[in-house]
Amino acid sequence: MRQNDPYQPELSVQRTTRTSKSSSVSTTPSTSKATQTAFRKKRPVGKMVLFGAMSLGAYALLFSNEALVTNTFTLGGWHAALPVGTAFLFSFMHGAFASNFLDVLGLEAKKA
Amino acid sequence: MKKFLTFLLTLIIGTLLVHTVYAGGPPPKNVMKGVFTQVDPVTRTATIKIDGQDKIRTLILAEGMTVDEIILDKKVMVSLDPHAGPNVIKEVTQMFFDMTPTKVVALLIVGLIGGLLSGFIGSGGAFVLTPAMMSLGAPGAVAVASNMCHKFPKAMVGSYKRWKYGQVDVKLGLVMAATAIIGVQIGIKVQNIILDHWGNAGSNLYVSVVFVLVLIVVGAYVLTDALKLSKGNLEAKTSKLALRLQKIELWPMVEFKVANVRISAWVTVPVGLFTGMLAATIAVGGFIGVPGMIYVVGASAMVASATELLVAFIMGAWGSVQWGMAGLIDIRMTLLILAGSLIGVQLGAIGTTYVKDYTIKLVMASVMLIVAVSRGAKVPGYLADLDLIPHLHHQLSVILNSISFWSLMVALAVAGIIISLAMIKGMLQDRAEKQAKLANEAI
Repeated sequence: MRQNDPYQPELSVQRTTRTSKSSSVSTTPSTSKATQTAFRKKRPVGKMVLFGAMSLGAYALLFSNEALVTNTFTLGGWHAALPVGTAFLFSFMHGAFASNFLDVLGLEAKKA
Repeated sequence: MKKFLTFLLTLIIGTLLVHTVYAGGPPPKNVMKGVFTQVDPVTRTATIKIDGQDKIRTLILAEGMTVDEIILDKKVMVSLDPHAGPNVIKEVTQMFFDMTPTKVVALLIVGLIGGLLSGFIGSGGAFVLTPAMMSLGAPGAVAVASNMCHKFPKAMVGSYKRWKYGQVDVKLGLVMAATAIIGVQIGIKVQNIILDHWGNAGSNLYVSVVFVLVLIVVGAYVLTDALKLSKGNLEAKTSKLALRLQKIELWPMVEFKVANVRISAWVTVPVGLFTGMLAATIAVGGFIGVPGMIYVVGASAMVASATELLVAFIMGAWGSVQWGMAGLIDIRMTLLILAGSLIGVQLGAIGTTYVKDYTIKLVMASVMLIVAVSRGAKVPGYLADLDLIPHLHHQLSVILNSISFWSLMVALAVAGIIISLAMIKGMLQDRAEKQAKLANEAI
């Protein structure tokens, strides 16, 4: 538990039952109070690393074949599908990374 | 998510069916791409292998051009001078500049802040990214194409995020995009008429004057509105004009649920048309689209800026296909900018949930007014080109050019600072409120 974590009190009632030899049963309610940290969303570190690695790999692959890529992608005509498709693909990988990255940093939209 | 993806896919397939429409102006004519194989200094000719064709063409060097200006064995863009005769070279530019680490970092940073801006106000980025790429050494057409290709995935991610926050009015976005595409056509026609009558300089002047006028008038209006709201801490009200227009019961009436507006289609259509015309003229349609949706249609700044992202996605995808078919996209630049802007656009989208409506207006107005200065600094040069004023001193034109470039950077910096500060303030306030609430509950 971190020091600045918000906490919430938890009240729990535990029932104890005692049975004596004279076969009389006495039940006493007892309460205990405990504090626990408020619900904390898990930070998606694993997802961030996974998408980050995928995105980084894709960038490395593309830039190591720079000459080939730039030449084929600019041939015109149906080749237009190549840059447009690549932009889509990268935006999914890198976009997912960016989203998880911001979650890990704790930057989230305000909840109404 | 699934619904959204199916929707996007249908849109893209739909856009592919139409071939005649360009967004942000058509790819240039009189330009060819290829590789120079040899140059002959005696006859002053150069042979070039054109891209995608097997034949080899011989081009003539223009007067005053030296043999050294022909770049051999590298992909180049050659613009021809049709006035000087057939096959006369006007200019040769290398299509792909060498990527140095400094250029990579520059593209990443500009991308990040450009993304932040468009996530927040729905548009922007294009006006600064294209000049930035050109100053790094990319030919103008390649810069426009690469920017277009980065814009649609960015806008897609941004609009998805803001759609999740319930800010995007899909119907309004579709109506705007459809009419904007028609507007682009009209814009291109107007551009061509001006180009035919007054040539390149005339067209440049026309573009700049439209740019400066629109930005100053609309920017000043948005700024006064934002300042009024911020002073009085008032809630944003629908503009009087929009309220009056909403009362006009002219068939067909359209209802926009998210924007909470019921208005005649005769009002929304012109807004879309102007957005498209402006997009074709100055490549930033959002500067009229967002204020149009706020003050004419009557949406809130939050919904208008989010919806503009959807419009930008549709128009950007359209334009990218066109520019891609002309073979002008430098995917390296596109992806490097995208690397920064995909983070920026999501951050900007998150930011909108923490700020008041007027902050969005304030950022938009400041950006518009500073960008107007940038374009205004170019007007004297164009006037001189048309011989309307005496020729400028070399030094003066250098100063004007650097004013133009640096004011764009200032616009970007100012927007980045306002957005970050507003966001941090909003987040701290939100955290304090939450803790106070928890403390109250604990007691």
